[in-house]
Amino acid sequence: MTMLGYQNKVLRLQMTEGRSSTEPLRMDFAEKYIGQKGLAIRYLYEELPPGVDALGPENKLLFTTGPFTGTGVPCSGKLSVAAKSPATGTINDCSIGGHAANTIKYAGYDMIIVEGQAEKPSIVIIEDEKVTFEDAGELWGMGAHEAEKRLQDRFGREYVFLVIGPAGENMVPMSCINSDYYRQAGRGGIGAVMGSKKVKAIGIKGTGGLSVADIKALKDKVIKYQQEDVHQDDNNFVFDAGTTAFLEACQDGGILPKRNFSDATDEKWTEYNGDVLLSKLAGKRGCGSCGLGCGNFIQWEDAIVEGPEYESIAVAGPNADVSNPYDILKFNQVADDMGLDTISAGDVLIWAMEMTEKGIHDFGIRFGEADKMREYLKLMAHKEGVGADLAMGVRAASDKYGGQEFAMHVKGLEYPQYEPRGSWGMAMAYATSDRGACHMRAYAPNEEVFAASIPPYTAEGKGQMVYSLAEFNAVKFSVCICDFWATVTYDIMADLLTTVTGKEWAPDDMGEVGRRVINIARAFNQREGFDRKDDTVPPRIVKEALASGPASGQMIPREAFDDMLNQYYDVMGWDENGRMPEDLIKSLL
Amino acid sequence: MKRLKFTKNLCIGCGLCAQMCSANKEEKVWPKRARIFIETSYDDGKLVYHDHYCTLCGICVKSCPEEAITLNGYLQVDPEKCTGCGVCAEKCPKKVIRIREDLAIMCDTCEGDPTCVKVCPQHALRFE
Amino acid sequence: MITIKILLRGTLPKYWAGEKERTIEIPEGTTCHEALKSQGIDYEKIPRFGFVAVNGMRVMIHQELKDGDELKAYSKVSGG
Repeated sequence: MTMLGYQNKVLRLQMTEGRSSTEPLRMDFAEKYIGQKGLAIRYLYEELPPGVDALGPENKLLFTTGPFTGTGVPCSGKLSVAAKSPATGTINDCSIGGHAANTIKYAGYDMIIVEGQAEKPSIVIIEDEKVTFEDAGELWGMGAHEAEKRLQDRFGREYVFLVIGPAGENMVPMSCINSDYYRQAGRGGIGAVMGSKKVKAIGIKGTGGLSVADIKALKDKVIKYQQEDVHQDDNNFVFDAGTTAFLEACQDGGILPKRNFSDATDEKWTEYNGDVLLSKLAGKRGCGSCGLGCGNFIQWEDAIVEGPEYESIAVAGPNADVSNPYDILKFNQVADDMGLDTISAGDVLIWAMEMTEKGIHDFGIRFGEADKMREYLKLMAHKEGVGADLAMGVRAASDKYGGQEFAMHVKGLEYPQYEPRGSWGMAMAYATSDRGACHMRAYAPNEEVFAASIPPYTAEGKGQMVYSLAEFNAVKFSVCICDFWATVTYDIMADLLTTVTGKEWAPDDMGEVGRRVINIARAFNQREGFDRKDDTVPPRIVKEALASGPASGQMIPREAFDDMLNQYYDVMGWDENGRMPEDLIKSLL
Repeated sequence: MKRLKFTKNLCIGCGLCAQMCSANKEEKVWPKRARIFIETSYDDGKLVYHDHYCTLCGICVKSCPEEAITLNGYLQVDPEKCTGCGVCAEKCPKKVIRIREDLAIMCDTCEGDPTCVKVCPQHALRFE
Repeated sequence: MITIKILLRGTLPKYWAGEKERTIEIPEGTTCHEALKSQGIDYEKIPRFGFVAVNGMRVMIHQELKDGDELKAYSKVSGG
């Protein structure tokens, strides 16, 4: 059936020929995968032959909304940005906030697919059904912030822009796509895919509306859920503190990484915590349709950023042995402007610090050298000098120079800032995540560390635990609802989906979709040759014990890690090599 | 008389006010066709608030050449008298009024029970 | 009897009408769970109860307290 809430239209930008076309949405895909993450991966599974060069013209960059996008469902304003990853070779779906998702929907589209490769650096301007291709001109080479400002000045505030910085232009495999200056589609080199197509920016203006199945019921339910569920302390702490709220919990929980994951607590955490950073709060911001408002707009001298988020704080702070809040903010600002993922860029820099201090290879940067970190971000964005090697990520750099023991990544995507020796299930979550080491697939610390009685330092029960978390996020990011509406349930999702689309969705359907989304992502990777051998854990985690905090003395024995993997494969119905049987793959299509 | 009140530092720029306003008044979720337009944006390293909402100042009532607009707790446009001339839209200091198909479209606070206030996440909008 | 300090984090202060800190006297051998329960915070009844830390380190909820301990209780967090 044709579900409402969708525009039932896909816009294809064929960059090689500089033209566009539209087509109906694959409603059959939407019925199984709903939207955003799931829908994007299903499309990519269909349209990308295996073995495609992620930086070549055959890769496709998908900007995907969902049925909730633009309808006013609270916390639905995120946009999926997906492609094959040049960092890992796996599927990669990112999620960017801001206002692009809603605007794309109001312009009349469910999805924008960018294909091919432009001859010259270009921008694409979309005003409802009107699409124009232009030379990027002097925008090419500019920082993402300056470029967005120029575009805003020229086209006006009604447009939203998706922009890459120099890092994306130079196809750095840890480059991101920005919007609204301070929001990113961050990981896996998604910016490099846009840069490989020579697209500096896409501007969208959307003046239309969208039909839903029962608009009066939708209005009543939006108000009801916003007042009764979204707006409670368990979600609203992000308005008060944003993700800075995680710092103290991670410190006490013993999972705050220090000096390239050598340890997991930092006695200096009060020097850069939320109280300190938020003392310079200049405003709050949320995405389109947000019911909370997690964005902290900070002005600290010339360090101006909407952020920093926990990941950026931890990687540029304790993990780099830096404790000055200005330095952390400035790192974030420079990374945003260069168009670099703070997690990966930070991780490769702290790896380089350890390499230099251990005398394995002198990268000319040591722990605590915050100024150098900012300088190196610019070198990495331009692949210049020492930045040329570092820009390629810890896996490539350690393959070349050694130091693989403490190159913290899975499949070539650098480790997020939660120490898995203090949260064993997280090691397996990082290993089995669809795009390499990612904390947004299964957020294990919430069950193992920020929980009263589940022991973190055991493999027992972790297969099912990680699966439940992964299933929930997979469907949540396909309908989509933002992570920070933490208390949303399958009941609420199904109720709103039915009200919007007109199709009867049951709460049990949500779990099924979640499982299906995990599987379609795995099927994509399997077709690219990934299996158990790639679901890895860095040597540091299985060989070195933590020195401080509640997890002191902990490391994850190899057998325990293997046990967790076996449990997970079992729960998923994959074989002992982590491979899906043919009939399971067929059932997804 | 109750009016809409807006507190900047509680506004997160979500646009739910316009989205639900349009859901209440139009057949589609169509924020460009709402009767309230509040947004925030970044400009030159600053966070800027663009708050277009009806304050019941009454200027539209006074300036209408056809006397088509009345105010009795909330604004009402008589479609028989309104010619769509656009003077009210031009004079509206908050730039809320729109002219569509020869008719002035303006905020009637949902007849004294404003939807935007109910959905505003951090209560930046109040009716008092 | 021993003396401990309790600190509340996250959304838990709502159980103390916004108060975040208390110093109380408890019998020797009282567990974190029992101490909190005596102050109206029962982890078994609070769905989004998170974890406890003693003197800045996470411990299991049934750990016994000692004189002078600082007990911090958190609600769950999400995301990253």
